[in-house]
Amino acid sequence: MALRSLNLPGVGTKYEFETDKGDTVAIFFTKTGIIQMYTLQKGCKTPSAAEMSPVEARRLGNILSGAIIEADQESVEIAFSALADLRITIHTFFVTPAFVGKTIEDLQIRAKTGATVIAVCRHDRNIINPPPTFAFEEGDAALVIGESDQIKKFESEIMVK
Amino acid sequence: MESLVLALFVCLVLALITKYLSIPAVPFYILAGVILGKAGGGMLTTNEISHFFSEMGLIFLLFFMGLGLKPERIASNRTAVLASGIIDLNINMIIGFAAAYLLGFSLMESIIIASAFYISSTAMALTSLIENRKLMLRESDTVIWLMVFEDLVLIVFLAIISAGNQNLVFFLIKILAVLGVLYALAHYGKEFLVSILDRDDELPILFTFAAVLITASFALYLGVPETMMVIALGVAFATTDPDAFEQHARPFKDVFLVVFFVFFGVTVDFSGGANWFVIGAISILAVVSKLVSGLLTGMFIHGSALSGLEIWANTIARGEFSIALAVIYGSPVVGTTIAAMVIVTSIVGSFIAKYSGILRRGIVSHSRHKALLRRSH
Repeated sequence: MALRSLNLPGVGTKYEFETDKGDTVAIFFTKTGIIQMYTLQKGCKTPSAAEMSPVEARRLGNILSGAIIEADQESVEIAFSALADLRITIHTFFVTPAFVGKTIEDLQIRAKTGATVIAVCRHDRNIINPPPTFAFEEGDAALVIGESDQIKKFESEIMVK
Repeated sequence: MESLVLALFVCLVLALITKYLSIPAVPFYILAGVILGKAGGGMLTTNEISHFFSEMGLIFLLFFMGLGLKPERIASNRTAVLASGIIDLNINMIIGFAAAYLLGFSLMESIIIASAFYISSTAMALTSLIENRKLMLRESDTVIWLMVFEDLVLIVFLAIISAGNQNLVFFLIKILAVLGVLYALAHYGKEFLVSILDRDDELPILFTFAAVLITASFALYLGVPETMMVIALGVAFATTDPDAFEQHARPFKDVFLVVFFVFFGVTVDFSGGANWFVIGAISILAVVSKLVSGLLTGMFIHGSALSGLEIWANTIARGEFSIALAVIYGSPVVGTTIAAMVIVTSIVGSFIAKYSGILRRGIVSHSRHKALLRRSH
């Protein structure tokens, strides 16, 4: 697998690599900011293309690096090998109707699961470190941090209700 | 002032429509100028303000082109640039010149028309490659480098046209001296320039605008045309932080260039004395001659005529540089002919570029079909 990067005048940067099985993947970061990904199957003549915004491209990158658990919900696990192999998971959840109108305190998130809500995304605006009195609304996305067991507990005990 | 406001408003509407339909906007800007100008009731008239805006448009277009030219990058890709570039230059210059001369233009007019005939629109070619998702095709590398080569040739054309009666050798030495001085300034002032560009107040954008304008007006004293001066400035600045300069110069270029296209359209007069046969012949030949050069390039570089078809599809459109040549030369008859050619080629080009995939597949399946028929006999 040889990765080539190439600067194309007026267009942007091109990254191209061939897989061991002979398929080709090419990514173009254009000057307009959009990212185009092309795949060309071995023996095929016409590539197929997908166009992405930078956000979408990062999302794809997360999937490819193996961090996604479910579609629509992303999760990143960070390992601090210097601190006795500490592993921290950060996971996004879209709130269920059961959440609406309730505060973090009402839901007893920390007491029941040990996980902590560190941010809530509401209408493209981010609320970092919401206080216990923070009440959820419909359409909110919560960013929850904890050990992977705590995250699982959050999923089974808080989300399901 | 009303003219300018009207022009800007019309352009805004046209830009919205053309971007929505993803077709090139340039031919429609020119057409708007033609329709609202002399040909249609004279709602738009050129005046001092529009003249200044148009001039800015031209200057920023050329400055931008200079920024994109990175000599060391071209040198490292010499073979890719040269082979296709020379085919393209020879075929299109010869066909363009012969056609113009035989149709009754004077020697100098024919040279200008041939140059405008030769230069494809870099902006339209690159946009078409990106929007039609063709970047991965091997032909698109050829097209991209072809555009770089054409830009280099354009600089030579501009030098020759604007040299006028001056001694060409003396003139070239003067240009090289200017380039040398600007290069040295950019080289030794690099840290200063970068520190200015890094700021997030009004300074970077003010500096960019002022540098381009001051360089252009300084040209008068040196006897070097401002077109060459701003290209040289662009090339020199490209050695510091070209992306930052592009970012700061883009707003000026975008607005002024649109005004430039509209008021170029205003000067075009299709009604009085325009020879429709000549205009039509040049426009059709402009499409055909790029087909010839495209096919030859495809066969020579990629060993396939189908590749040539793809190269042709993306290089048909003539645009900003053809108009720039027409404006700098400034003859109404030549301007009208080039305007028509730009309008026809850019509209035809955008459609062929969009459907070239279907065209290629059609030809492949057709020839396969024929081969099968032949075998069965």
